[in-house]
Amino acid sequence: MAAKVSSNSKAFQPDSDVHITFEDQQKINNFAKLNARLEDLKVELEQNKNDLKQLEEAKDEIELFDEDEQIWSLIGEVFLGNDLSGTQQYLTETQEKTKLEIKDIEHKCADIQEKMSGLKAQLYHRFGNNISLEGDD
Amino acid sequence: MTGLMDKVEMPKLPENQKSFAGIPEAVFVDEIDNFMGLSDNENNWEKTLHKLDEQHGKYKFMQFNLEARKRKLKQQIPDLERSLQMIEILRKQTEDKETQFLLSNQIFCKTTIPPTKTVCLWLGANVMLEYPLDEAESLLKANMESAIANLKIVEHDKDFLRDQCTTTEVNMARVYNWGIIKQRQAANKSQTSS
Repeated sequence: MAAKVSSNSKAFQPDSDVHITFEDQQKINNFAKLNARLEDLKVELEQNKNDLKQLEEAKDEIELFDEDEQIWSLIGEVFLGNDLSGTQQYLTETQEKTKLEIKDIEHKCADIQEKMSGLKAQLYHRFGNNISLEGDD
Repeated sequence: MTGLMDKVEMPKLPENQKSFAGIPEAVFVDEIDNFMGLSDNENNWEKTLHKLDEQHGKYKFMQFNLEARKRKLKQQIPDLERSLQMIEILRKQTEDKETQFLLSNQIFCKTTIPPTKTVCLWLGANVMLEYPLDEAESLLKANMESAIANLKIVEHDKDFLRDQCTTTEVNMARVYNWGIIKQRQAANKSQTSS
């Protein structure tokens, strides 16, 4: 998963030993760091998308309810009773918030991916086959 | 929440330190021959590799601890958020509201809450204090800010630790390669001499 220098025994050729400068090391470090952050963000994104789906389902579910029907929604640890339009409003607001959050995370992901591909190009150029920077996916 | 997340700054690092937890820095190896020649390493790659591996294990352990702390904080923040949300609801409330609250695990109880101007906050250590809504809100917000600040500290340390981990991993690969080269050279020598 994390970037690892794979100049190990199998692919090893004595003449392909490359000198690693401090800058190279910094770049490798940066790449590993960005990679880890991307993984974290992916998990967060997944959670938010799941939330959004559930909110949508909830909204569909109450669509057919009567206006004066009491609907219980869990806020924190208590269920609050609310009428249809109040609950719908609450759901829509939460939906909007989640959408914003998703947008924010996607933006961050794209940012990181851009930086990573830049570093990737530099590092492959420098080390060729002696380094492997591919993720699991 | 994202707004507050960006607003809160990471506190300043303690002087002369690159991480909050005082994580030791991994040495960067510039010239592998010089590094192996150090008196500690005695040109013995197996021993050096073992030492680096040990260091790597220590870093991994620290990483595990930081990860646990981060999870705890990540959970704390939504909790605070929900409390703030509840205060907002209470503030808007003008008439009796029916609720079902958690009496015990999986048991909910019906109750009506009249409009209120105060809430009780659980402060921990078996203390609960009644606050006016505004004060409760500012207290929760302050807690939230410190939780976010802590989260940023943990994230910074995590990044720093990852750097050290990667540096050590690279060092291990290089020491290993160095060992292989030396072994081949020795093998070549004995071949030519025999």
